Amino acid sequence: MNTTEESYGKLLQQVVFAPDADTREVYLSEAFELGRSSLMEETRPPDELVAIHHNAILRLAKAHPDMKLSDIAELLTLPLIEVSMSYGMSFREHLEEKYQTLLEKRLQESHKLEAVGTLAAGIAHEFNNLLCSMIGFSELAFEELVDGVPAKDSVQQVLIAGLQARDLVARMLQLARKDSALPMESLDMVPEIQSAIELVEIREKLFDISFRPGISQAFITARPGQIQQIIMNLCINAADAMEHRGAMVITLESTTAEECQIEMGNSAFCLTVSDQGTGISPEVQEQIFNPFFTTKEP
Amino acid sequence: MAHILVVDDDEQIRMMVTKMLERDGHKITIAEDGHVGLRLFQAEPPDLVIADIIMPTLEGIEMIKTMKQLRSDIPIVAVSGGARHIFFEDTLCLAQQAGAVATLSKPFTRVELTAALLTALSD
Repeated sequence: MNTTEESYGKLLQQVVFAPDADTREVYLSEAFELGRSSLMEETRPPDELVAIHHNAILRLAKAHPDMKLSDIAELLTLPLIEVSMSYGMSFREHLEEKYQTLLEKRLQESHKLEAVGTLAAGIAHEFNNLLCSMIGFSELAFEELVDGVPAKDSVQQVLIAGLQARDLVARMLQLARKDSALPMESLDMVPEIQSAIELVEIREKLFDISFRPGISQAFITARPGQIQQIIMNLCINAADAMEHRGAMVITLESTTAEECQIEMGNSAFCLTVSDQGTGISPEVQEQIFNPFFTTKEP
Repeated sequence: MAHILVVDDDEQIRMMVTKMLERDGHKITIAEDGHVGLRLFQAEPPDLVIADIIMPTLEGIEMIKTMKQLRSDIPIVAVSGGARHIFFEDTLCLAQQAGAVATLSKPFTRVELTAALLTALSD
């Protein structure tokens, strides 16, 4: 028997044999205080305290066969009830605190996003004006140059880069808008995935991506282009992590909402993307939905 | 071919649009802001106007409204720089309500400019 158990048992005995109600009250509150501190300060599990309490009552009953067990138990329930109540309250406070911290973290992230969005919007106007001239004058120069002149290729590259920059600005601006400008529509994921893979394969010549759809069509409600963007990002990240050599497999299956533990609709699709890389460490996994997080070097 | 009034506060874009449109055989008048644009609109009446919506002295929307009041049949192409107003699609929408028949977002390509022009002229 450890000391807490011993002192607790002794206090319960004093409660039972207290000369008057006031003294009994004092011992009861001491027992409560001891129970409370062993739960909160020594962080004992509550069921251990319940066991200590029951054992103490049993020992008392054994030592005093003249007394009824139910009478003893009735005298002694109070500290146990109070301890459980105070434990419950502190558990709730702890949960609330945890929830608050999580909420604050989310809020901070969304403020950060909003700030980047506003900044993007501010520079995008100036940027779009500059890009407009760059693209337009490149097009004019391209027209002026006769075929076969080496400069024509160079001008074409400037034009391609300009158009890529235009897409980049458009994507940055998407961040600035609370709702994306594009409306949601019903689209088939199968061709979306196929064209994303085709685009990645232009860049990653030594990287083998196989797509194995288990179904011929998979209609979902989404913004056009964003599914492609997701697939492309995952493939490019995998290729980068595997030094541009190796293989990855993408599968698409039909499943149910219940199986995926989502609360919308009945049917669902399961898209899996797997590669032969080293995987993602738990610390990194925690951060993957943070839009500013990357493990890539600048 | 048409006589086109181009109103934009960005000099490079004025030059570029002029060069593109002249190459296609159009006659171009340029204005660097809304006030000059309105003056030239009355002095040398054009067949079509290409107007930037966001300009320092007179906002493009106001200019478009005034032009439509002066000549309700004038086709106007509204151009948006994209982002001083975060919801620039809304700005283009406002321009259409003010009377623009076609819209263009910067940066636009030559093909997009031609397409907007054709839409405006055929309207």
